[in-house]
Amino acid sequence: MKDPYSILGVSPGASDNEVKRAYRELARKYHPDNYQDNPLADLAEEKMKEVNEAYDAITRQRSGGEGHQSGGGATYQAQSGYQTQNYQRASADPFFAKVRQCIQAGNVEAAERMLTQEATTKNAEWYFLMGAVCYRRGWLDEARQNYQMAAQMEPGNMEYRQAYAMMSQGGVSYRPSGYRSSASSGCDDCCSAYLCFSCLTPWGGPCC
Amino acid sequence: MFGYVRPLWEELKVRDWEAYQAAYCGLCHALKEQCGTAARFVLNYDFVFLALLLDDGTGPIIPCKRRCGAHPFRPRHAVSENERAALCARESVILTSYKLADDAADEGFGKAVKSRLARCWLRRGYRKARAALPEFDETVKSCLDALKELEKEKNPSLDRTADAFARLLAAAAPGTGDETVDRPRAQLLYQLGRWIYLADAADDLAEDREKGRYNPIDARFAGRPDLDYVDVTMSHSLALAQSAFQLLPPNRWQAVLENILYLGLPQVQKRAVAGTWHGGRESRQIHERPL
Repeated sequence: MKDPYSILGVSPGASDNEVKRAYRELARKYHPDNYQDNPLADLAEEKMKEVNEAYDAITRQRSGGEGHQSGGGATYQAQSGYQTQNYQRASADPFFAKVRQCIQAGNVEAAERMLTQEATTKNAEWYFLMGAVCYRRGWLDEARQNYQMAAQMEPGNMEYRQAYAMMSQGGVSYRPSGYRSSASSGCDDCCSAYLCFSCLTPWGGPCC
Repeated sequence: MFGYVRPLWEELKVRDWEAYQAAYCGLCHALKEQCGTAARFVLNYDFVFLALLLDDGTGPIIPCKRRCGAHPFRPRHAVSENERAALCARESVILTSYKLADDAADEGFGKAVKSRLARCWLRRGYRKARAALPEFDETVKSCLDALKELEKEKNPSLDRTADAFARLLAAAAPGTGDETVDRPRAQLLYQLGRWIYLADAADDLAEDREKGRYNPIDARFAGRPDLDYVDVTMSHSLALAQSAFQLLPPNRWQAVLENILYLGLPQVQKRAVAGTWHGGRESRQIHERPL
């Protein structure tokens, strides 16, 4: 394993507070919320794991090898499945379940082929999955149109509505410190996402 | 390309601004060294960004003072000896050469003659660049052919037209064999390419409508362009580019790159969508103030 201090980007002489601050910043950066449906979600998850392990290692070291009091990492790892569940949500239709598996595995071409050639009906789920295929490919306009269609056909479905809402707000991304309170948009997102972030942060508090 | 990918100057620290200037000069020197004097005129901000992004050097940035035709009396700081700058120089010559060929075919008489002359002038440099990067040349050709085809049939899809350009830009980063670097880089450049294409379309919208030319935004909204929608989808591209950027190992240009991605591009986008960009001339004036 790499040196935990270099992973967190602090010197071994850093105070507990500095270590904690560095960890929080990195946890914010690689937070699964920033990589929802992102084709790079798996890489972000890897990084998150690395950061958690580094932080755990340091806290263990500093507390003399007995359990770690902050427990930051442990909380996070319990949630790491959250990201990948997105397309694994049970689908009543075995055909769509298979398409979801393809998307999940990153095989966008196969998923698209199945949707365009083998699907018998174009229901809300079809549009949703087509949107997911487009999104994975970076075709954001068509993704948005498909998600919108899905959300209109089945307004009660939270999954479709969330996907469409994400598109209409223009996605989310982490902003490094120093770029947070710029004149550009993002303040709205920050506030609306605030509650959500607050309960997902490993320290259970506000994210910014 | 177009010169949309630039920092927000007033927010750059002085040392970062100087380093950026040195990288800009360095790319210009690389253009001359790789492709001849004529190639210097294809220098633009977009490829400076690429050179900074791809730079894998470690240690401090050490510019050296160099003279050139444009600054014969007062040598400028330039970052030299950068392998990545050589690559970006060649790529920008290849891309510009194809763009000039397109302009020669599409534009009115006056501009067409200019483009043709410029292309003749650039020809030797282009041949050198093509010899060094045959694969990139192939990719650019096939992507631009696909794009031309889509534009000819007046394709109403924003994504499909932007995709051709975005794939081209994604091909500009050489593979490193490390998936954790190549994938974020490819996504960053793909989304940046999409963003550049849309920025250019938004910027040209008024002019294209006036002249009755094809414009992807006009075609997508069947003549009633919804620019707020375009703004959102461009911001989304930026968000995906930024999230990809965060997964890359930080290099020594981190501060400049962050400025470009988080401040420069949103600013350009705002002006392009509002139709007040006009080639970013004001910003250029700031840039050309002597060091």
